[in-house]
Amino acid sequence: MDDAAFWHRLQFAFTITYHYLFPQLTMGLAWFLVYWKWRGLRTGDERYAVAARFWAKIFGLTFAVGVVTGIPMEFQFGTNWSGFAKYAGGVVGQTLAMEGMFAFLLESAFVGALVFGEQRLGPRMHFVAALGVAVGSWLSAYFILVTNAFMQHPVGHAVHASGVLVIQDLAAYLLNEWALIQFAHNQAAALVTGTFAVTAVGAFYALRREHTEQASMYLRHGSLAGLVAAIVVAFPTGDSQAKIVAKYQEPALAAMEGRFETGPMAEITLIGQPNIKERRLDNPIRLPGLLSFLAYGTFHADVRGLNAFPQETWPTNIELLYYAFHVMAGLGTIFIGLMALAVLQRLRGQLESGRPLLWVLMFAFPFPFIANTAGWMAAELGRQPWLVYGLYRTDQGHSTVVSSGDVLFTLIGMAGLYFVLGLLYLYLIGREVGHGPDHRMLPPLAGESAEAKVTIG
Amino acid sequence: MVELWFALLSFMLTLFVVLDGWDIGAGVLHLIVAKTDRERRQVIAAIGPLWSWHEVWLVAAGGTFVLAFPELMAVSFSGFYLALWMVLWSFVLRGISIEVGGHVHDSLWRSAWDFVFAMSNLLLAILFGAALGNVIRGVPLDASGEFSMSLFTDFTARGRVGILDWYTLSVAIFATVLLAAHGATYLRLKTTGPVHERSERLARGLWIAVTVLFLLVSIETWVVRPELFQSMFQRPFAWLALLVIGVSVWALFTGLRGSAEGRAFAGSCGLIAGMLAGAAASLFPVVLHSTLNPEHSMTVYTGATAERGLRIALFWWPVAVALALTYGFTIMRIYAGKVGPEHDTQGY
Repeated sequence: MDDAAFWHRLQFAFTITYHYLFPQLTMGLAWFLVYWKWRGLRTGDERYAVAARFWAKIFGLTFAVGVVTGIPMEFQFGTNWSGFAKYAGGVVGQTLAMEGMFAFLLESAFVGALVFGEQRLGPRMHFVAALGVAVGSWLSAYFILVTNAFMQHPVGHAVHASGVLVIQDLAAYLLNEWALIQFAHNQAAALVTGTFAVTAVGAFYALRREHTEQASMYLRHGSLAGLVAAIVVAFPTGDSQAKIVAKYQEPALAAMEGRFETGPMAEITLIGQPNIKERRLDNPIRLPGLLSFLAYGTFHADVRGLNAFPQETWPTNIELLYYAFHVMAGLGTIFIGLMALAVLQRLRGQLESGRPLLWVLMFAFPFPFIANTAGWMAAELGRQPWLVYGLYRTDQGHSTVVSSGDVLFTLIGMAGLYFVLGLLYLYLIGREVGHGPDHRMLPPLAGESAEAKVTIG
Repeated sequence: MVELWFALLSFMLTLFVVLDGWDIGAGVLHLIVAKTDRERRQVIAAIGPLWSWHEVWLVAAGGTFVLAFPELMAVSFSGFYLALWMVLWSFVLRGISIEVGGHVHDSLWRSAWDFVFAMSNLLLAILFGAALGNVIRGVPLDASGEFSMSLFTDFTARGRVGILDWYTLSVAIFATVLLAAHGATYLRLKTTGPVHERSERLARGLWIAVTVLFLLVSIETWVVRPELFQSMFQRPFAWLALLVIGVSVWALFTGLRGSAEGRAFAGSCGLIAGMLAGAAASLFPVVLHSTLNPEHSMTVYTGATAERGLRIALFWWPVAVALALTYGFTIMRIYAGKVGPEHDTQGY
């Protein structure tokens, strides 16, 4: 791999990783907004309206950063990965266009109205706006996951006479087995991020003994939804994800577990450091038989180790892949335990008063971001050395006309811009959380005094 | 089929320029047309809840570009590498300045973001103008079927051209003034009070400047690509575009003279759409003209994907456009009517 290819990969990895910190939160929060708007509409209870109004501000800021960091992603297919765009554009172009047209144009039409337009739209239409944004953001996830699933497990395509890929069967492409499983797994994980954010803010207010009514609501709704989502991430979706990796990307599965030897009763590694040169796992602590069971449903199934595959089909960064997978799986397990504990405390009526758990819940919110990021690293590193699995290698995909100097220039520019964006985002979110939910009634739309308006902002 | 997709893609890009054009134009004039903080909030409120919907038409067009013309998209996007990244940075800064500018009630905070908003829009207008100039003038495609362009070379419009030269710079200036005029015409329609007065005066002046620059750029285009005028007169579709331009100019100037603000704005939209449609019709089928050797030029036929993919996409594309336009117009209707200086962005 030459220099330019490295910089192209680093830039894409950086921009996509940074970008995805924001959509995972908005996709998780969107359904809270829909739920609170709906309950408010049905019951007329002002508490739901207050909650929706407060979280819509957090949502709006997060969404804005998600949009502006997302637009460069679409363009990079052409600017940085023109080889890939030429080779697979005839297939993945279908979903890239669908994402823009069915999803982005839906969410972007309603998001401004959702965040700023409660008075103007009226309760019913404002609920529709929340629903439109939620559906749009999940649709967008589906289309982009179909695109990714094609890179993981290509289906529905044909090879054109000129050697490039073209779409053959749109239904097969859209209903790719890999896409369906990955979508369920990924969306449940986004819900985990959203629920952890909601409970963390609830815990923060509960610990400070302010906004107690709202705090209690965030804790109750957040932890219940969080427990369900965390379980779904592991079973059935994570389990199915492991099984399709075992089915279609055997070397990736072996690398994720740091497994070099082939044999039955394959063990799950809890801790250990892969040593590629010596082809072994150092300091391993393992649970025997579990990997065979998880991947193939029986303890005696043979799981092939990396040694069974030619080295040029091994993932290119086995160590990082191994750690990414273990960070994801480990955190996912802890999430289930934490949320189960929170739900248990709630059943005992002690969720709002048990301070140690509140401290943990407050500081837990960054970890789903880490787990989601690690999960995506596992998926993308596991796909290596292929850009389109089994068909097209990663080192063929970048734009050859773009020099390393040009890529490094834009990478540095993006890093600087995103750093500033991150500071700005944290400052503004901190400010909103500091202000807290606003319990005052909204002023009437027309002819209001300047005083009254300032209070909404 | 390829011709149809060229038309559909041109339609999406034109829609983007018309819709986001008034946001960009309003942004270019932001610091001139609005003097106080309240007036500046009013301008932001006037481009209102739909600015991102407008911008997303470009993203949707980008997706459609990959879908229908993967090779063309790959060659042009990688060739325009640095310029495109500057567009992306400007988009990031513009979006952020709109969303966070009104968040904090502090005059320094707001002044800073108003400045960022105006500058990023100015940069976008210049870059899109330069992009159009590049497409008309051509790019240094060689025998490999690819090109890589510097931001500038020797500023001549022949041979190993850069993104900026005397011709593309002229088009960039023209496009900036045109979008500013479009934005002023929009603000005249959408606002009341001092912003309205200023945009009315600006619109009248700017459209006269557009007329002068248009003649100048047309002469320059005739110097750089004389054959384009020939193909324009041979294509019935280009005549249609000329007709649209004619009617729009009439609507625009009668609307500007009197108080028919809606008519003037419709004329402004029609004029931009007509000019882009005319340009697309005269360029067809060569979309990337080679400045090195015409034989290396790329046409829509060489850049397109297989027939089957285009046919499949034709099933869902009209549904998607109909839905997208429905969402946008629904929100537009809810937000119909003028925006007064008492509006806060938080209430848009």
